[in-house]
Amino acid sequence: MIEAQASVVDASETFSQQKEKSLIQAAQKGDKHAYHALYDLHVKRVYALCYRLTGDRALAEDATQEVFIQLWRKLTNFDGQSRFTTWLHSVTANVTVSYLRKQRGWFQRMFNIEESAAEYEQAESSSAEVDLESFIVRLPERARMVFVLHAVEGYRHEEIAHMLNMAVGTSKAQFHRAKQLMKEWMGYGDE
Amino acid sequence: MVMNNFEHELQRQLDTLPKEKQPQRDLWKGIELSLEAENPAESRSGLHAKHIALAASFALVAMVSWFTFKPIEPQTHDSLTGQSLVTALSNQHQQQMNALLVKFEGQPAVTENWQQQLQELDSAANAIKAALEEDPDNTALLKMLQNVYQQQMMLVERVHAPKWQQI
Repeated sequence: MIEAQASVVDASETFSQQKEKSLIQAAQKGDKHAYHALYDLHVKRVYALCYRLTGDRALAEDATQEVFIQLWRKLTNFDGQSRFTTWLHSVTANVTVSYLRKQRGWFQRMFNIEESAAEYEQAESSSAEVDLESFIVRLPERARMVFVLHAVEGYRHEEIAHMLNMAVGTSKAQFHRAKQLMKEWMGYGDE
Repeated sequence: MVMNNFEHELQRQLDTLPKEKQPQRDLWKGIELSLEAENPAESRSGLHAKHIALAASFALVAMVSWFTFKPIEPQTHDSLTGQSLVTALSNQHQQQMNALLVKFEGQPAVTENWQQQLQELDSAANAIKAALEEDPDNTALLKMLQNVYQQQMMLVERVHAPKWQQI
């Protein structure tokens, strides 16, 4: 019985992968209907990553659009050697970081605004009622991006340092900072 | 002990973090508009054609920028100083913005919140102008004001122009 259920799951998985593969191939040839279907399959995953990286709904929506616009151009580069979702996440992270840099760039250059005020706000939650998503978006920008890329997406600090144009030590320090803030917000302050 | 509990709880939360999130608005429309502005056959042709298109776009943008921003350059305001220079800059910028908005009137925008972004830049310009009232000959502030005005014009062009013109 369990074996039969497992083979149904396997068959369903294989069917989804084949469907995705044929959509990718059609989109690579310029089929926009196939690309729309591919968008429908992945938009929620892409948006989730964009939202966590930007910490802002409107920016995340714009970044998601930018990802799919650039993905259309880059799709021919996908050779099927890795899983499409892995490749898509990598494209999403890179495009969003670049998009955010463009959006924030002039403000930071002009007024040297680097961090949000969120870290100074009083923690309202306790460990009994944790909402990790809301804590992530409250993190200061650089700490948030490093935390999302390392802890959620599994990138190494060396890769993050390259993506965010910072030293490896800075990436590690920002990750530590993010965790310290989360620890405080989650009610695990120094005792 | 506290740290161990925290690490454990954090990992547990990370493991259960939803992989998906639903955007609150339909994003496909804006994407489709951008894709329509591109010619797929052209964008998928050889590198040579791509480079020619890139060079042509660059030349076009350079020419447009030259003619668009030329009037703002300081040499046209040699006789102006202080507050009169700020007023002249602002008036010229307003005229250029009006011309741009008329040019793109009725054309769909790639993003929906561009007017909000424009207002934020307006607020930044107003803050700089307020600072200039106190210190009208501050060149750093004048450059900042010019930069904000250029950002506004680029924003309007960027959200309305097809992607291949945004290089």
